[in-house]
Amino acid sequence: MADEPKPEGGAAEPGKPAAETPKAAPPKPAAAAAGGHTPPKPPAPMASTPWEGEIPGQLKERFGDQIRECAAYLGQNFLAAKPDAVIPILEFLKLEADFDYLVDITAVDYPKRAERFDLIYILYSFARNERLRLKTMIADGAQPPTAVNVHVGANWLEREVFDMFGIQFAGHPDMRRILMPEEWEGFPLRKEMSIIQQDDRWVKENLGIESGQ
Amino acid sequence: MGKFFRTIFLVDLFQGLWVTFRNQNPKYIYTEQYPAERPEVAERYRGAPRLNINPDNGETLCIACNLCALACPETLIVVGSERNEQTRRKELTTFTYDLSRCMFCGLCEDACPVDALELTQDFELASYTRDGAIWDRQMLEEGPKPTQYKC
Amino acid sequence: MPDATFLDTTELVLNMGPQHPSTHGVLRVILKLDGEKVMGTECVIGYLHRGVEKIGENRTYQQFAPYVDRMDYVAAVSNGLGYCLAVEKLLNIEAPARAQVTRIILTELNRIASHLLWLGTHALDIGAITPVFYCFREREEVLKIFENYCGARLTTHAFRIGGLQYELYDGFEEQVKAFCDMFLPKVDEYEELLTNNRIWVARLKGVGILSGDECKEFGVTGPVLRAAGVKWDLRRAQPYSGYEQYDFEIPTGENGDTYDRYMVRMQEMRQSVRIIRQAVDKIPTGPIGKTPKVIKPATGEVYVSIEAPKGELGYFVVSDNSTQPYRVRVRPPSFVNLQALDRMVRGGLVADVVAIIGTLDIVLGEVDR
Repeated sequence: MADEPKPEGGAAEPGKPAAETPKAAPPKPAAAAAGGHTPPKPPAPMASTPWEGEIPGQLKERFGDQIRECAAYLGQNFLAAKPDAVIPILEFLKLEADFDYLVDITAVDYPKRAERFDLIYILYSFARNERLRLKTMIADGAQPPTAVNVHVGANWLEREVFDMFGIQFAGHPDMRRILMPEEWEGFPLRKEMSIIQQDDRWVKENLGIESGQ
Repeated sequence: MGKFFRTIFLVDLFQGLWVTFRNQNPKYIYTEQYPAERPEVAERYRGAPRLNINPDNGETLCIACNLCALACPETLIVVGSERNEQTRRKELTTFTYDLSRCMFCGLCEDACPVDALELTQDFELASYTRDGAIWDRQMLEEGPKPTQYKC
Repeated sequence: MPDATFLDTTELVLNMGPQHPSTHGVLRVILKLDGEKVMGTECVIGYLHRGVEKIGENRTYQQFAPYVDRMDYVAAVSNGLGYCLAVEKLLNIEAPARAQVTRIILTELNRIASHLLWLGTHALDIGAITPVFYCFREREEVLKIFENYCGARLTTHAFRIGGLQYELYDGFEEQVKAFCDMFLPKVDEYEELLTNNRIWVARLKGVGILSGDECKEFGVTGPVLRAAGVKWDLRRAQPYSGYEQYDFEIPTGENGDTYDRYMVRMQEMRQSVRIIRQAVDKIPTGPIGKTPKVIKPATGEVYVSIEAPKGELGYFVVSDNSTQPYRVRVRPPSFVNLQALDRMVRGGLVADVVAIIGTLDIVLGEVDR
């Protein structure tokens, strides 16, 4: 989680309501009286330790500076790579390092960063009984290549990431919403989408009253 | 050969029928005839909320500390209080509990430092209107009064 | 595609669900049919989407715990265990021994309850009406234990981060032991009804075959993977909560068809009883753990997964050093397993679709979250 708070990060979304930013600028959208206030200072970056071993060695040798970081946090290994290298790395891990099971694809939204999203692939190897997380940072509007050609199971997982974050995967066979209705506006898991705001709008449109939340 | 005889004499069919026949015994009746028969609810059952009253003097146990409202994931509890000028203490005035949004997770009763708010064994919470699911302080202290049916 | 057994017809599109009793909830499957033969499917999901992950970002760590129960409501205890383990990992703490053993007992009881519900409804889909009543009768006994323990039957909220909220009640051990003694003969009874039943065998054998390699390709886990002959169970592969101390077997199948999956789940129920019996005998004394009043993990992210009744249930939690998670991702087994439906039903008959949806053991609350 390389922390690079770039000032223009929030302005990367011109279509989004500016009035919402004071609420959503700290990681938490208004949590009502739930008692969660964010600390004033920016949080310290993740205290990860370097990950040495056979796989990082092979990867660094093969992909060079495409690999940004090989680290471990609380005993869980992850590696950060540049977006272009993700699919070759997945291929390499599957074919030559036995990481044949794609557990999950997900994303995390950091609206203040220039490269807004963390895209995370969680892998598992049956032969080694090891887990591995592959992370990459992509900007809003970037189209990372799909992993469907490497792992068939990536299909629905990528559709869900698109549905929730609006990340389009290039070359995906069926890039449609999967959980939300087709006509839904916006991408619900982006940080500027506060649930209170969505709820208010729905109540006003459909019931004609203030929601009172 | 064994398989042939099993097929001819429909052994698997009769085996299954024997199982159902064994379970016909009236002593295995499992169905509860609610509402004629009251179900036995566990002691720790998390049902209707109740605001406990001190049995000695009839005053509420609640100290209006607002911890339940803070603990509630759905923020459905609203505690109203005002400061008593003589004793310099906060006193409970209103207490609203929106049962329609409650999921009976029990976090509010865990948070209560004086055991005033409690989830009880009452489970008949249906009402004819939506407003009926929003309980005020009086309702919380007295408890629900569901219709009793004669059977 | 000329086929001797099928008449040549035009392609027919048939909507199955979302209000179809055999889709186990609000799953809509669009079937492309050639006569009785399924040429392709498309799943339409999301009818039960409640935005659990978004809710998680807006609640404190403690407050989110009741919500995870509502994803796989058939196995709520497993969901709660996974979430508690994930946050405990993030905090780098561990529940005390007494809490861990209690957690294992309740989770295994929940596995039995989940498999019983699966067996009852699956048999009902195939046309065997009797087992559903027996299964629900036995499941009721499990739910009574839950109710006695934590006061709720289905969405239990049984565990808290850092341990347990409720001390074991008097007579817990006896009730669990009595359940185990009562339950094992009942499993034999279900098997008497189904295992050799000619209709049951004819409907399940060779239907919906998914090989081990295909399972890995799709990320399918749980009994479906084990029925394909892959001996992989997270309780063994990466033990959590003290599972390494218990003696149990991982049942596997050979053909990866619907019948094997049925057999695997029946065996799993027996193995769960075995684990419960070992655990009940050695509940240690001591503290049950205390929930920290304020949970504020250091910045970081963890992925923790457990073997839920349906497969690998994972939680990916990102913390930003505040009292609320920055992001909670749930890796639902049902969602990933459902993706393999198309591969399994293709080329089969319409009636097999019902059997295959049943055998995948999906819960739509978890598919849609």
